[in-house]
Amino acid sequence: MSLVRKLKPDRNITGALVPLSMLLIVGIASLIFGLPTGLTTLAVLMWVYSLFFLYGFIRTGNVAQLVLCLEGAFFGIMFLVFEPHYGMNKVGNSEFKVAYIFGVVFFGFVLISLALTRRLKWRGREIFELAGESVEETGNGYTSRPRPVGKVEYSPQQMNAFAHFCARHLIALPYKTSKNFTLVPIKMGDEFGRLLGLSSDYRDATWVNFDVSGEVSVHIAQKDYLDYREPLAFDQLCTSLGQVFIDFFELYNKGEGVRVIDRMDDLGLGIFS
Amino acid sequence: MDFHTAAKYASLLSKDYAEDMFKLLVNYQAISASEVATRLDLHIKTAQDFLESLAQLGVLSKEEVLEKKRPYYRYALKQTRISIDIDLMQVKREPTHNNLSKLIREKENAGARFAVARSDDYITSVTIWTGEGRERTERKIKLTTLQGKFLYHLPFPKAVPLTISDIMQKAGIDENQAPEILDLVQLLEKYDVIEYIPE
Repeated sequence: MSLVRKLKPDRNITGALVPLSMLLIVGIASLIFGLPTGLTTLAVLMWVYSLFFLYGFIRTGNVAQLVLCLEGAFFGIMFLVFEPHYGMNKVGNSEFKVAYIFGVVFFGFVLISLALTRRLKWRGREIFELAGESVEETGNGYTSRPRPVGKVEYSPQQMNAFAHFCARHLIALPYKTSKNFTLVPIKMGDEFGRLLGLSSDYRDATWVNFDVSGEVSVHIAQKDYLDYREPLAFDQLCTSLGQVFIDFFELYNKGEGVRVIDRMDDLGLGIFS
Repeated sequence: MDFHTAAKYASLLSKDYAEDMFKLLVNYQAISASEVATRLDLHIKTAQDFLESLAQLGVLSKEEVLEKKRPYYRYALKQTRISIDIDLMQVKREPTHNNLSKLIREKENAGARFAVARSDDYITSVTIWTGEGRERTERKIKLTTLQGKFLYHLPFPKAVPLTISDIMQKAGIDENQAPEILDLVQLLEKYDVIEYIPE
């Protein structure tokens, strides 16, 4: 376990901006059009939120995304059920209360357990910490060029399965072409832009590429490189990042995928960072 | 003939009055710039520059003549044939052991942007910024596949430098394709993207 963090503390608030902006929109809608409209707005926003996580589930296969999707859909319905009865003292019926309380308890419990077990966590920071762990030398040398870091033997089926594994555990988002499997590690808060395609092209982000001939190459985005406390020797950092994924691939290939998760959990990074 | 001299000939021959000028030079034993200018309805400076340039190239001879104490030149044709013959192989960058064994790597803070091919491991283009302030301009250099593969394997800044031939070997480039690699290396060295490391 690394005691000295190589990355700067996470001060990214992008992840919190989405729910906060929902509150702001609902507040403004309530102020202008009244609370019933505010509730309808909240319900619509919850469904939009739910659709995002449904897409996240389809794209990654991560079950926790599906739970978030169901949670959004459920509370969206609850707000819509509540809205026509607002101010008429009819919402106090026991069915609504039971459904609402059960929903809150169920989703509360499930979401807290998913968060605590890091199943909702995008593992980008863990990946970068692991990559930086073995690099002691400093000296910058940043370049936007990718670096070939080695070669691994694999079949397309093996790589496909590994890419699915990385996506399912939110280790990296895979992009497949006829000749390449590109894995893009994503930090918490960056998933919205990347999944919705609002961020720049994935080739400009940090990635590890496995091509059909087994060549592994690595590209580190300047934004991610600047996230390290010190200007680590760039060529070593690229090699190390590539090696992290090669190790993960080999562990996964041996049927020890759980060790990959353990290695990342052992870093003890915050569940929202 | 070198490119520079050929370019001078080509520039002179491309003037729209060049043929008329040569008609005069062929048919007159010797002629002055003012005579040419009045005959062809040109400015005297234009005529003089043309004749002077041909004299510098050795096509014409010039003789100083004094008229009422005022000297001027009369030009006469020295040769009746102009041939532009360029050996294109003179600009070929022949790979030698010396230039292929130079140690190179990417220069730190080169500020260049590299675009990577989506389908394969090579760089498709390098974008370089030159100049300062308002004079700053962007220059995009499209690379051949071989050059792109070479650049893909170029050592990073601060990394251990490699010889050009070693990088070519890593990139799977044959030595007979070295001229286009050497051309790229020279260009990027000029723009401070690549640095030579003394052994």
